[in-house]
Amino acid sequence: MSYNVKLNVYEGPLDLLLFFIKRDEINIYDIPIAHITREYLDYIRLMQSMNFQLAGEFVLMAALLMRIKAQMLLPQPETEKLEEIEDPRTELVQMLVEYQKYKAVSDTLKNLEENQAQYFPVNSTLDCRNYDPELFLGEVTLIDLGLTFKKILEKLPKVHYFGVETIKVNIHQQIQFLREFFVKRNRVKFTEIASKLTNRIEVVVTFLAILELIKTTEIHVSQKDIFGEIWLTRKKTAEDHVITNA
Amino acid sequence: MLSQTHRIIQALLFGASEPLTKTQADVCLQEDISLDRIVEDINAYFESEGLPVWIQNVAEGYRLMTRAEYEPWLNRLFQNKGKLRLSRPALEILSIIAYKQPITKNEIDSIRGVDTTVKPLVEKNLIDIKGRQDGPGRPLLYGTTTHFLEYFGLTSLKDLPRIKEITEIVSDENLPADYPEQDAAE
Repeated sequence: MSYNVKLNVYEGPLDLLLFFIKRDEINIYDIPIAHITREYLDYIRLMQSMNFQLAGEFVLMAALLMRIKAQMLLPQPETEKLEEIEDPRTELVQMLVEYQKYKAVSDTLKNLEENQAQYFPVNSTLDCRNYDPELFLGEVTLIDLGLTFKKILEKLPKVHYFGVETIKVNIHQQIQFLREFFVKRNRVKFTEIASKLTNRIEVVVTFLAILELIKTTEIHVSQKDIFGEIWLTRKKTAEDHVITNA
Repeated sequence: MLSQTHRIIQALLFGASEPLTKTQADVCLQEDISLDRIVEDINAYFESEGLPVWIQNVAEGYRLMTRAEYEPWLNRLFQNKGKLRLSRPALEILSIIAYKQPITKNEIDSIRGVDTTVKPLVEKNLIDIKGRQDGPGRPLLYGTTTHFLEYFGLTSLKDLPRIKEITEIVSDENLPADYPEQDAAE
């Protein structure tokens, strides 16, 4: 048995059935169900042998066709009212007729589409987002070029330099620096000291110097309120005691 | 001879980016004008002068269009975007929606016998969500847009060919004469 199936793309099982009906010149209202079921199943087997993934709807239709075929083989109960026995094909016929209607309409729409495509409306904005820039550079200005260049520059990998500087201050220097504040005064505000410092590393070293002076009990640190002013107070040394006592 | 009103209407048609309706024209001119007559006059004038444009009665209004013979050049201008056509399934879905709107996706599926994707047509602005159906799940209802009319060059939905006419042409051997016709366009 040879197949003469033109591999159209069928939109679904109804589309496929309509193809058989048209090809074999079948009356849609009197479908030879055994014939059409055989054709349909042959097609499905062919598709499966070619490893086509068939949608579930095709399998569902196969089941429907076989059910109708079985129903038509069953002997009808003896009854006088023959008209009342429903033809098992009715549902399928209705589906096919309805689908065929809209298939025909879509052909008409296709013609309308084709016809209307000859005219272009004013101010039409056909989707040109994917257009080939090599063909059309119409709307590019000098500013666009500049902006593009800037973007490219920004995208270039950045070179980072990390410099390591020698720390020019040490704790001993800063202790001397602090002691100079106490030459004339006994109390110095921390903010006053900090205002003399120029960079982070100086602040850190000076802070360490303050801690060092506290350790050696040379100065005393006090703060009245939270986040309030910090006062550095010089403690009287043994030498001072000698002087005052003298 | 064209009057000042004719020239104003021409200007409006030049400037508009969608079909110009009678209501819009009346508002712009601040008087009740006979737009159909005026457009007829302008079209006759365009024709006699051999101008490359004409005015089409589309989507319940009027739109200035290029003439068919200039299609090749315009296609080049738009890089053949004008040659893109809808796929067969898309046309099928549109047909069903056009005649049965408002309709749910499930109803479309059951007519076509396959699962349907409506999203691309919504994105193309050919159909739109028109509301929700009462009932379980409250499914979305779809209908065609003004752009649909423009796209197919239709004045209104009443312009859609009657299903009866189409089916008679396509398959009179398959349809008995007494088959009850459901003309859903009405």
